[in-house]
Amino acid sequence: MAAESAILPMFDPIPAGAWLVWAIPFAAALIMPAIGRLSHRVTGFAAVGFALMSALSAFSLLPMALAGGEVHEQIMWIEAIGLKAGVLADPLSVIMANVVAWISFLIMIYSTGYMKGDRNVVRFWFWMLFFIGSMQLIVLSDNLLQVFFGWEGVGLASYALISFWYQDKKKDHVGQSNRRVLGLMDYYAPTHAGMKAFIMTKVGDVMMIAGMLLIFLFAGTFGFRELVGDTAWAVEMSAQGLLVPAFVLLFGGAIGKSAQFPLNEWLLEAMTGPTAVSALIHAATMVKAGVFLVARIGPIVFALGAAGILADQFFEIVAWVGAITALLLATQGMTNPEIKKVLAYSTGSQIGYMMMALGVAGLSHQYVDGYTAGFFHLISHAMFKASLFMAAGSLLHVVGSRFMTDMGGLRKHMKKTYMFMWAAGLGLMGAPFITTGFWSKDAIFAAVYESGTEWALPLYAIAVLTAVITAFYTTRMIGMVFFGPKSKHVQKMESEGHPPHEASVSMWVPYGILAALTIGIGLIGLSAEEGLHHLFEVYLDESFGIHYGVSYGTAGEDGSSILPEFLQGLNPVALGSSLAAFAVGIGLGYIFYIGRLVDPVRFVNSNLFFYAIHKVILNRWYLNAIIYWCFVVAPLWLARGVFRYFERTAIDYGMNDGLQKAAGWGARVVQGTQTGVSQSYLFVFGAGLLFVVLILLM
Amino acid sequence: MVMEYALLQAVFLPLLLSPVAYILGRKAGPGPAMWFTFAVLLYATVLVVTAALEGETVEEHYPWTELFGEFGLLLDGLASPFAIIIYVLSTILVLYSKPYMIHKFKEQFAEERMAEGVVQEPTAAVRDNNRAAIVQEASGHNNNADSPAMTSYINAKSGLYFALYLVFAMGMLGTVLATNLIEFYIFFEVMLIPGFFLVALWGDGPRRKIGLMFLFWTHAGAVVLLLGFLMIGLTIGSFDFADLKEAELPTEIALASAVAITIGLGVKLAVFIFHIWLPYVHGSAPTPISALLSPAMIGIGAYGIFRLVVEFLPATFSEIAIWLHVWGLVTMIYGGAMALMQDDIKRLLAYSSISQMGYLLFGIGSASVLGLAGAEMMYITHGLGKGILFMMAGIIIVRVGTRSISKLGGLAGRMPITAVCAVIGALTIMGVPPTSGFMGEWIMFYGALETAVEEDSTLRMITFGLGLVATALTMSYMLWMLKRIFFGKTPEHLTKVKEGSWYMTAPMMVLAGFTIVLGIYPDIFLESIVPYMGGVLGVE
Repeated sequence: MAAESAILPMFDPIPAGAWLVWAIPFAAALIMPAIGRLSHRVTGFAAVGFALMSALSAFSLLPMALAGGEVHEQIMWIEAIGLKAGVLADPLSVIMANVVAWISFLIMIYSTGYMKGDRNVVRFWFWMLFFIGSMQLIVLSDNLLQVFFGWEGVGLASYALISFWYQDKKKDHVGQSNRRVLGLMDYYAPTHAGMKAFIMTKVGDVMMIAGMLLIFLFAGTFGFRELVGDTAWAVEMSAQGLLVPAFVLLFGGAIGKSAQFPLNEWLLEAMTGPTAVSALIHAATMVKAGVFLVARIGPIVFALGAAGILADQFFEIVAWVGAITALLLATQGMTNPEIKKVLAYSTGSQIGYMMMALGVAGLSHQYVDGYTAGFFHLISHAMFKASLFMAAGSLLHVVGSRFMTDMGGLRKHMKKTYMFMWAAGLGLMGAPFITTGFWSKDAIFAAVYESGTEWALPLYAIAVLTAVITAFYTTRMIGMVFFGPKSKHVQKMESEGHPPHEASVSMWVPYGILAALTIGIGLIGLSAEEGLHHLFEVYLDESFGIHYGVSYGTAGEDGSSILPEFLQGLNPVALGSSLAAFAVGIGLGYIFYIGRLVDPVRFVNSNLFFYAIHKVILNRWYLNAIIYWCFVVAPLWLARGVFRYFERTAIDYGMNDGLQKAAGWGARVVQGTQTGVSQSYLFVFGAGLLFVVLILLM
Repeated sequence: MVMEYALLQAVFLPLLLSPVAYILGRKAGPGPAMWFTFAVLLYATVLVVTAALEGETVEEHYPWTELFGEFGLLLDGLASPFAIIIYVLSTILVLYSKPYMIHKFKEQFAEERMAEGVVQEPTAAVRDNNRAAIVQEASGHNNNADSPAMTSYINAKSGLYFALYLVFAMGMLGTVLATNLIEFYIFFEVMLIPGFFLVALWGDGPRRKIGLMFLFWTHAGAVVLLLGFLMIGLTIGSFDFADLKEAELPTEIALASAVAITIGLGVKLAVFIFHIWLPYVHGSAPTPISALLSPAMIGIGAYGIFRLVVEFLPATFSEIAIWLHVWGLVTMIYGGAMALMQDDIKRLLAYSSISQMGYLLFGIGSASVLGLAGAEMMYITHGLGKGILFMMAGIIIVRVGTRSISKLGGLAGRMPITAVCAVIGALTIMGVPPTSGFMGEWIMFYGALETAVEEDSTLRMITFGLGLVATALTMSYMLWMLKRIFFGKTPEHLTKVKEGSWYMTAPMMVLAGFTIVLGIYPDIFLESIVPYMGGVLGVE
């Protein structure tokens, strides 16, 4: 289905392009070990090249998708059950695929610098490519089962990459070795962290597969398109009260993968991986998968409204999980001393925003508003967060410590990184009018505010509060790293003759590009958003029958705007609170960390209230410790008890030894009349029994 | 075109040629004996696979005694996956056997010499109980030459080993191809006896005791099984499967025999309470045999339930299905929890097998087409995955000389091939795509859910949920095992460990490749399994 496009007329989609987008990285991963045999140096170039090929095939689909076209191809897969495999390249997935592909490509370039000199670089490239391939498989699959392959693929790749430095050296740990929370260490080795990520996301996956199977049971298909066509399955499911549970279970998968409350704790330990991996996990693959899944299934659920089936609870749960996560993780970003962890908290929190938008969309009368807002935020977040992570990686590389307290005063030594970090950081803070982050966050505010659901107000309050905190912790991070006096660690480096220096070209160029894009697209942010809005409007209408302005739930009224001409289309309340939040956040951040007018440590210790709050937040709201107590310590204790007092005693001694003693005693009785080895009697016993039976049969 | 007598050859050639393997071992040494055994089993495997690929049911009947009925061999949608896995594993493990068993023979040779007092002074190695060093000293490996005494010792032992091995493989295949209750029972016992000798002769630890334990428990199970068989056979007056299918048994007798058969097979399957023998036997058996016992042999219990209970006693089956379901669930969780507590790699894997057999029973208990199909897929996938993992354990035993997980760590850098294969094996057991484990698991759980929704049964809903949660448990113990063996700091004494020989790693790689192919393209087996299960349950 080749469609003409006004913007990018010279490309036709590559034949089978949608398959190639994910097939190329997988194939490349497989041949990586072979290339590694030839030369370690070549592997890096080869990996980047393959990532580029994948990105180009994704790009070739873009004109078609921007014109509102779609490619849907299927082949037979599991004939015994009648399942097909396929690709579905519609506007949603093509845009997503391009975001993933191009950001991954930049991260791959960055990795060539970051991983220079690592002995296990082949393994690194294998898993990076596998990671990208799995993510693209999620994005472009046309059915849930195939999505699940990619889903577990990213889980597996994250496991392998988080514990990439599997020797568990001290420098690769995260957390502080002397901190304990509720008696448990808050200090994790890479292999532990990888395991934690894999198992915790598996909990989500278990829910997801239950939801998938429920839907398959009623619909007889895993296909996204097939689910929209005929809604008899949904009628039946909702009659049995299983519709909302099924989709909530499906959302459970997204909770796990996107590190939403209450499965958010793995994301922090995931920072043990190389920073390139963290960037990939947080910007392009893995955590975005959950958001994408909700964007995939959300319209399906919402469109059921046309058949009179309301699934408001589903959207409410999505919105609230998002809101809680946004606030919960943002608060923790304010206290953590490790730069990568601050960014990790920030990611979880921003993903919460996206979830909130996607959830609110389903509760409002303009589905497309929230939908666009959530997805737009996904794109802008992908850019600035990838940039921030890569910049943080450079800092780690240069300073050799993950603690911000070991940095400080670096702005003169690393000018480029300093500049780019500000640009991307402003995106995260939502600096007004010039960053993508501003427009996308504003869109979310507006969507929540205008949704007209009964939850609109509390959700809105949380969103604004989170924005304040976001601006604060971002300023704090930049302030602690680049401003103030040099830390002892940096002074020591200087005295040893290794002053901090700028990172290599292959490293700063990728995050420079993304930082520039954050501002560049930010300048045309409103029209970009409107373009996306229009695209999704058509897409939702044509593919799901969700007409613009049609509402199925309880919806409010449209208000008319009082804003000046160039801001027409924005909600004044949302705009106002967005500006206020930014101002308050950055202002507070300036006072504590850039101007250094007030000492934050003394401030926190100044009264018991602040101290208590700080402690609770620093201890991760005790959530991690509680999870460990309930799901690791207690079950192990129980298993040990059962092993010791049941398996070892009742089963082993009771049945095995008991019977053996009885048999031995029996044998001794027989020994009175015969001589022989007691063991052979058991033999004779068996043979005799068989003989007797045969006699009986004759 | 299927060769005539193909199945008969596949079953009996190994038995008939086992003396040749014995003589070859004695006269020419372990190498020729291994290749001979390999050739025989490869030929038999090719026969079975080509027959199975025909896509249709292959049946052979031969006259037998009047009393028991016909001697038949049947390869249908149910039996062919079992048969293929059994023979593929048996064939591949022949190669693996050689280096492992030579290592074992040397160890025992050293022990025996010490017991006879040939080596008088306990050397430093003996005092430290360093087995690898003992072997080296006893075999004179320091000057790179085996003493003649040891060579003849190894030759004799390897002849016996491969002869028993052939009989063991043949017993397993015979059981799944049998078409007659008595025939089934005989083969069932035939695979037990070489199994007993293999454990009792070359096991680790108190091997005779454990061998006897194996013999006793499985034999006790077999007797209960026979009881069930007799109940059926004497009631309808025939032992032939064909007659069984037609016959209408009185309800009580059907129930009683179904229970007896299930319990009898349950011992073999090592489900909860009857799992007593399994950790000992799998832990002690020579590793290639563990790798055959665990994936191939114990699952035959599930085959028996499929064939005898599900197919022949459908009415009774639908009554007891829910109990099997719950029993399976308990076994899954119990085995998994116990696996968490193990320090011995092989015992950990043994408990994992118990847990996996719980999955099988769980799937059977789901009483739906895809649930049953998934259970059979689980047998296949467990065969592949656990086969790989036991081979991993064997390589570690040979190369490191310990099987205690707490003494291991960071081996991934030292033995990369083993580590990669072990991870694939573990993923298979965990049910992570793209390994075959996922294909088995989702199909099976789908079946469980289907029945739960159809029957609107809360109990089944709960078991479905708990079953899924149990997969997270499986994942925990597997990942934890991998972490403790392959990742983390490398202890001092492991810095010089070498990768296993190709004889040991190549078979692992074959299985690892197979599990991934099957995970992406499960039709290879599902094509025959699903129609069969549909036929059995009367669903199209």
